[in-house]
Formats: sequence, structure tokens, C-alpha cells
Amino acid sequence: MSENGAGSAIRFEGVTKRFGEAVAVDDLNLEIERGEFFSLLGPSGCGKTTTLRMVGGFEQPSQGRIFLEGEPVETVPPYERNVNTVFQSYALFEHLSIEDNVAFGLKRRKVEKDEIRRRVAEALELVELHERGDARPRELSGGQKQRVALARALVNRPSVLLLDEPLGALDLQLRKQMQVELKGIQREVGITFLYVTHDQEEALAMSDRIAVMDAGVIKQCGTPEDIYEHPVGPFVAGFIGVSNLLPGVCENGSIRLAEGILCDAQVPDDCAAGSDVQLSVRPEKIAIDDEIESGMVTVEGTVVERVYVGTSTQIIVELAPGMRLMALEQNWVRARSDDRWEIGNRVKLGWRPEHALVLR
Amino acid sequence: MSTEVAQTPSAPAPPRAAPTKPAKDFDRPRFLKVYLWLFFAVLFVPIVLVILFSFNSSRSLQNFEGFSLRWYETFFESESLRDSLIASIEIALVTMVIATVLGTLLAYGLVRTRTRWSNAANILMLIPLVTPEIVAGASALLLFTQIGLELSITTIILAHITFSISYVTVVVRARLAALGREVEAAAMDLGATRWQTFRLVTLPALWPAVLAAGLLVFALSFDDFVLSFFTTGESPQPLPVRIWTQIRFGVRPTINAIGTFMLVISVLSIGLALLLPRLFGRKESGLKVLLGREGT
Repeated sequence: MSENGAGSAIRFEGVTKRFGEAVAVDDLNLEIERGEFFSLLGPSGCGKTTTLRMVGGFEQPSQGRIFLEGEPVETVPPYERNVNTVFQSYALFEHLSIEDNVAFGLKRRKVEKDEIRRRVAEALELVELHERGDARPRELSGGQKQRVALARALVNRPSVLLLDEPLGALDLQLRKQMQVELKGIQREVGITFLYVTHDQEEALAMSDRIAVMDAGVIKQCGTPEDIYEHPVGPFVAGFIGVSNLLPGVCENGSIRLAEGILCDAQVPDDCAAGSDVQLSVRPEKIAIDDEIESGMVTVEGTVVERVYVGTSTQIIVELAPGMRLMALEQNWVRARSDDRWEIGNRVKLGWRPEHALVLR
Repeated sequence: MSTEVAQTPSAPAPPRAAPTKPAKDFDRPRFLKVYLWLFFAVLFVPIVLVILFSFNSSRSLQNFEGFSLRWYETFFESESLRDSLIASIEIALVTMVIATVLGTLLAYGLVRTRTRWSNAANILMLIPLVTPEIVAGASALLLFTQIGLELSITTIILAHITFSISYVTVVVRARLAALGREVEAAAMDLGATRWQTFRLVTLPALWPAVLAAGLLVFALSFDDFVLSFFTTGESPQPLPVRIWTQIRFGVRPTINAIGTFMLVISVLSIGLALLLPRLFGRKESGLKVLLGREGT
């Protein structure tokens, strides 16, 4: 239950969804609190959209129960659920004006005319489209359509707003801008957002909590910081951000990598000596040569590639054949990365032992 | 030529004997233009001649001797021809309405229900479009006489509906597929029941396609000969069959007047089919709707 005692907005209890032989969602147990911006994050086919569609009422769970604000909803058709969806394709009604699109839900509920007008104006104001009320959807840009879809859903004041990759069709600049706006709107209206995306940056930027899904199962659920800094397994570490994953073997208190390199790391207590693990180090946590401080784990290797990406330069170092690490050099002094670490140079890399995660 | 250039590399190229054509012409050969106009001529000259001679004041089908409306008068004064015209319009209208409703429902079913038979059903749908009309006509005649249905306007309408449904289904199905399922899901998500969703969202989106298909069916039914010929009763016969009967007793200039009149009706209905979507505020032309290329 949530801290303010208001109960959860959505609760999944052992929800499984099968399509024929294929299991799309496997025994899902999850509780989403009221007012939370919650993201389901995962590669395509991981079951995140199916989960969303089950909340919307467009799919029935094969097993298990779904509660909306404490009420079971498996038998409630979509048009009687107090949730609204922002679809990936926007799904605007082309034959209706923007105002009529936004008013559609209120009209179905027989809300009074004056109130409809007021709430539609409010919703359009919220998404900064109050001057385009008479336009048809086709006259709007992609970003504007996106906002209409959002206003059309929010105007009904649902208990949960479902968003299915709503920014997927926008170009990068607009997507970044809409991320900030979406988060701002969510804070303003205070409605629970259940957000489906495959874009980890998007999820990290907007969410209060994230559930990382793979093959129908939640691999990890937590705050963005949790998931980024303390991924529980190789899948999460690899999916969220760039990760250096090095295979190794557990040895009391440290990890022996291939080629006999010994690394200090925080080895979990239940990790038996001799068991196979993967060592994960984020590129931005790796110091190069003279940045290395005392107490750091150090390794040595040869620079094999240097990729300039604007704000930083990726330096790829080979420790041993087939064993590569990526380090990041911030380009705040442009010249530095220019003169140093030519391809073929020997370099030292270092990181704090607590930044090396042991994954199984 | 190349040696000359090599000797004076810095000098401007010597003027050629013939003026160079603009570069853009090389991928637009002129003979294609000529060919196109020739094609149009072969296509339209006979039609233009029919229209011209329908206003001829003499009986001649070779010499135009002056403007007159006498063949139109003969056409409209002949009771049997007038009855045939009315019968043809009646057949086309009833066929249009029934085939449009049935074809639209069929399209909806084909797009919205997905089973392993969908593909087969979608292909079967196209068979009436490619079946030789002789076969369709003969089998319809066989069926009607077997079940003891007397040949009349009703049997013609039944036969016309059968082949028209496919046209409607093909046109409407393309529009439905382009509409996508999310739009209907969105309507239900916003509180519309299934029926409200169909009435308020699906149907308005389909209207241009449905109307265009209906008018196409009207035009097809109105000037159909083969099916009508097989399934018609004694009287009244639809206009195309009536004309054919008349021609057997010698070609008279009335034919030109009737032909011109039918042409006008067909062109009007097809023109309307192309225009209507625009009148409904759609950007896409009716041609695109009919070809199922809307939104591309």
C-alpha cells in the first residue's frame, strides 16, 4: 500500500496472458501507486504493451486478476473502465474537429454541454492548443496531434492514463521536448501515468518508478537511480544505458577475469567461490591514466577505437583478446582527447570497487 | 571529336552543327507523347462521333447534315424505350443500395475477424471480378430456372447484386484497413459502446469509400449487358438489352441518342464518385478512395 494510505491505482495479481502457445505476460505481480509516473520498459515483444492493453480492457488476462483502484476489472469492457489511453498512432478521429475529438469522451458520459465546453477549453489550454480548436487533425503536426491525443484522454479525468509509446513517432528534438512537457503535465494533473516505452532514456527521464520487462517477466522494478546504479542482472545492466560486461569467476572477495586479471569488487555474500559471474562497470565511472585515484581497481590495455560523439569521446580499450572496455572522456577541454590515447597506445583504466557490479 | 577537345583543353567546346537538346528531354522521348495522343484519339474519336451524330438532322450515319434533336425525341417518345430506361435506372438504383450495404458489411467482417480462413476468403472475394460474365450470366440463368424463379427485373437485380458486392467490398475494405484498429479502440476507450463506435467513428470514416463504391456500382449496373441479357424477362428489358434487340432490325440513328444519354449518366455517376469525398472535406480524391490508395 502507498505511503498516504490511499491504496494503489493498479494492482496485478499473478496475471498471465497467453496467445496460443506463446506466453506474452508471465505471472505478473505489480502494484502502481496513485499519482505515480510508472514506466514499463523493455524490448519489443517483452509483454509491456499487452500488459497495458489488459489494463485498458482490450485484452483479457488468461489467468490472474487486475484491480483498478481496488476494484477487479477483468469483466469490465473498455468503455466502462475509468482509464484512458494515448495510442502510439494517436488514433484521432479525422472527421471531427480538435474540439470535438477532445469532447468525445465527455459526450459519451452525457456531461452537461456547458461543462463540456469548459473542460475541453481547459484541456486544450493545458496542451497549448486552445487556438487550434476548430482545426482538423490532418492540419496539425505530429507533435500537435500527440498533444490532442493527450488532451482527449486527460479531459475525462481518468484514474489512470495509459500511454503506449506515445512519443515513438516523433523526431528526436521534439521527443526530448515532449518528455519534459509530459512530466510537467503529469505533475500538474496528478493522474497516475502508466507509460510503455522501449526507450530507456525516456523512461529514466520521466518516471518515478520503472519496471524493466523481458520475455513477459519483470526483471527489476525500482526508481530510475536504482535501476541504473544497481541493475540486478546482465539483462537490466545491458538494457539500461551502456554497460561493460566482463565475464569472470568469483574468488573470495574479488573477481578473476579471463586472462588472469584480478579485480576487487563487492561480491555478494551468497556468491560461492568458483561460480561464473559478469562484472559490470558503467563507462562514465572509468578513469583513464592520470585520473586514476588511490583505492581504485586498475587494469591495463590497448586503445583500439576512439569515437567522438560531441559531448564526450568513447575510448574503447582491449584488455585481452576479445575483452573490451568502453571509457568516456568528457570533452570539456576539447584538445585533451585529441592528443592523448591514440589508437595503439597502452593505457591504464581504473574504477572504484563499489562501482563494479557483480551480476549473475 | 575527342581528339579535337584534347588538343585545346582550355578552349570552349566548339559549336556543334546541330543545336543541343535540353538534357531533361532525354528521358521523355517525344514519340511517347505522340503515342499517348494517338491512344486517346483511338479511344475517344468513336465516342465523339456517336455524340455528334446523335444530333444529326438526317438518317445518315456518314454525313453530318445539320443540328437537330429529332433522335432524342424519337427516343423519349417511344414507350418501350422509355420503359427500358426506367427499368435500367430502377435496376441500377436497387442494386446500388443493396450491394453497398451488403458489401460494406462483408468488408467489415473480412477486416475485423481474423481466422486462418481470412486469406482464403479475401481471395475468394476477388473471383467475381475476374469471372467471365458469360459464365456468371449462364450460371445465374441456370439457377433461376432451376428454382423456378420467373425472369424479370428482380432476377436482373439479383444477378447484378451478386457481382457488385465484390466491388464494394474491395473498395471499402481498403479504406477500413487504412483506418486501423486503434481508432476504434480509442473510441471504446473514451466510453463509446461497440455500436456507438461504429456509428460515430467507423461509419463517418468509411462514408467516402461507401459512396464512391455505390456510385461505381450504379454505373456498372446501368450499362451492364451480358448479365442482364441472360437474366432479363420479356418486358421491360433494360436499356442495353433493348438496344441490342433493336440493332438486329437495322441500325437507326436513335442508337446514337440513347448511347449519348447513357454515356452522360455513367460519366455523371463516376464523376460524382470521384468528387464526393472532396465534398465531404476529405483531402484524398475519389480516385484514390476507389483504388484503395487513400492516405498514401
